Amino acid sequence: MAVIEVKDVRKGFDGLHVLKGISFEVNKGEAVCLIGPSGSGKSTMLRCINLLEDIDGGSIRVLGEDIAQLKDINTYRSKVGMVFQQFNLFNNMNVLDNCMIAQKRVLKTDPETARQKALLHLKNVGMADFVNAYPSTLSGGQKQRVAIARALCMEPEILLFDEPTSALDPEMVDEVLNVISDLNKQNMTMLIVTHEMGFAKDVADKIIFMDSGVVCEQGSPAQIFDDPQNERTRQFLKRVL
Amino acid sequence: MSLGKCLEILSKYKLSFLLGVRTTLIVAVLGTLIGLLIGLVVGGIRAIRLDKTAAPYKKVLKKAVDIIFRIYIEIFRGTPMMVQAVFIYYLVYTNIVRWDKMVAAIFVISINTGAYMAEIVRSGIQAVDPGQNEAARSLGMSSMQTMFDVVLPQAIKNAFPAIGNELIVNIKDSSVLMIISITELMFQSNSIAGTTYRFTETYFVTALIYLCLTSISSIILNAIEKKMNNTKTSLPQSDTDFKSISMAKEEL
Repeated sequence: MAVIEVKDVRKGFDGLHVLKGISFEVNKGEAVCLIGPSGSGKSTMLRCINLLEDIDGGSIRVLGEDIAQLKDINTYRSKVGMVFQQFNLFNNMNVLDNCMIAQKRVLKTDPETARQKALLHLKNVGMADFVNAYPSTLSGGQKQRVAIARALCMEPEILLFDEPTSALDPEMVDEVLNVISDLNKQNMTMLIVTHEMGFAKDVADKIIFMDSGVVCEQGSPAQIFDDPQNERTRQFLKRVL
Repeated sequence: MSLGKCLEILSKYKLSFLLGVRTTLIVAVLGTLIGLLIGLVVGGIRAIRLDKTAAPYKKVLKKAVDIIFRIYIEIFRGTPMMVQAVFIYYLVYTNIVRWDKMVAAIFVISINTGAYMAEIVRSGIQAVDPGQNEAARSLGMSSMQTMFDVVLPQAIKNAFPAIGNELIVNIKDSSVLMIISITELMFQSNSIAGTTYRFTETYFVTALIYLCLTSISSIILNAIEKKMNNTKTSLPQSDTDFKSISMAKEEL
């Protein structure tokens, strides 16, 4: 069952066409990786799904609804979690409050239940010892794990990852990728923009290769990495693998 | 000028000086606080960026309010507070209500400070990383919740040195309110100088008192700023550190 259906999506910024008719689907429980060179529109595509950007044409249906027609954007966003390249933890709150604030404000969860849920998810990402720490005192990998826990606290049906490891130094990449792999094992539906080809090959059910605002090729990791059909895909993979 | 005379004036007229200090502090502190409230509202609204998809009437309303706030800021930053004080005091006194001079003074200093605070708050909000806003919205928080829970607390922290500056400025600049016979420190000094004919000595004492007031304010403001920063930067290593940090947070 497709939970994200992207059809012929177009998007421009001041005359610059970033997305030129993108179509793909993500099924329930799948991990889909968006790969491709910088500036190909991968992050913009992800931001459109979270309604951080509006689209100029085409349609995006998520969980059966056209998201351009939604009346209650906030409820929709609470069901589609997003993890950012720059973590974006709330700097004025400690780790625990970062994980509790949206539960309290959006889901109207009572504080004790919110606290328990936050502690559970922080434990799962290995950050339970840092509940009182402020973001400025954490390493990049720790921040990103807290950001994932924060998104999970909303019990989202889909998680979007926008280059979750691009701002991390190499030694911290694994600790974040391990957390994402664990989520994959629990059948979380995920759309991941990444430059980590080894990781994409291991966890993805489907790989989508984008370049200059179009999808050049999509298929299973085996198809894309071992037997790419598209010339542009071959060029790109030759350089990064 | 003799220091002996200065001490003599200070001890003889200490009650007058103290009354002046009290009025100066009341006007300056209240003016700064009310000015900050005005600034939070005006600066907060000015910093709002409406979505492209917002209803047309909202866009028109926002534009109109922006223009009104802009005019308010330009007028009150662009004219001297002394002129504002006499003009507003007599305008209201002769046309609307015979209001108390003290009320008029606090009104004028508040609305004047508000114009500066609005710009301070707006720049503080704009200095907050847009990623903070995006993260809050992506979790489903409304724009209001995002503003109050995430953006404003960080904006106020960013802007705190500039906000504190306004208090120091107000302690000194409230002296112009003697133009509407507010018995603050400068007004008291004038009467003392007029009685003693010791102008140099009296105003030397006055200057020292102002310097004391502003120095003490600086120390207090620095302490508050340090405390605000402390909870965010200390590195928690052990359980005891965790406790001290959460305790420090509760004190705030």
